[in-house]
Amino acid sequence: MSAVVEEVNVATRKEIIINWYQRAFPILADYIRKGGGDLEQAREIFQEAVVIYYEKSLQKEFSQEKDDKAYLFGIGRNLWRKHLRQTRHTVELQGHDLAEERDQKPLTTKILRFLQQNGEKCMNLLQAYYYEKLPMAQLADRFGYGSERSATVQKYKCLEKIRDQIKLKSLRYEDFLD
Amino acid sequence: MRTSLIETARIENWLFEAGSTEERLLMEAQALTNAELREHITWQSKTYHLIEEYGREKLRAEIRAVEQELFQSSKFSSFRIKILSIFNRKK
Repeated sequence: MSAVVEEVNVATRKEIIINWYQRAFPILADYIRKGGGDLEQAREIFQEAVVIYYEKSLQKEFSQEKDDKAYLFGIGRNLWRKHLRQTRHTVELQGHDLAEERDQKPLTTKILRFLQQNGEKCMNLLQAYYYEKLPMAQLADRFGYGSERSATVQKYKCLEKIRDQIKLKSLRYEDFLD
Repeated sequence: MRTSLIETARIENWLFEAGSTEERLLMEAQALTNAELREHITWQSKTYHLIEEYGREKLRAEIRAVEQELFQSSKFSSFRIKILSIFNRKK
């Protein structure tokens, strides 16, 4: 776990995100405005920058060489430039809806919705371990397991259950193959 | 752990390139002759991808909630004014 996001409970994460907004959003918003963007675009770009930075901060090899403000601004600036390039490209290829092409894999979304409704408890446990990178001891604590061993067994039970559900649903939606 | 869970753990180690070289080679050899194992590997790999997407969606929801508070709560009015003033400037 990195130094940036050591504690991963929701309340602490909220404080971290507020701090990132207060420190980095104004300079990115100013940059985007100067590039012709509006507030809504700045908000969308910063949201994605926060997701990317948060995920980076959870990686083992992450080292905080720059301060988080510079890092977030850098990510946001790159996302904005990419957005501008794509917008230009779309205009050049009039009639070809690139936005639609880029947008999502609807079947992934469909499966996720299904899992939210039918396997939420397991999905929450799995995302806490694999996405938030919560250590097993904290995972056991958060989900009320008596020991790390019990939490580990439950994690594999959930993984197996969700894997089989995904397979079942995907085969019904035949073309779900990312 | 029951046998199927041990297999799930072995697949995880193989996909995440963890575990010993011997174990990895054994897994690869077994996958060559075991169609069910190959199928489990494929779907387990997709499962990790979906778990990541699920986690990302949850994080996005948290970020949107924070942003909403920053732009609506009186506690953060100075932040809101600062941001709105950026977009009210003449170009």
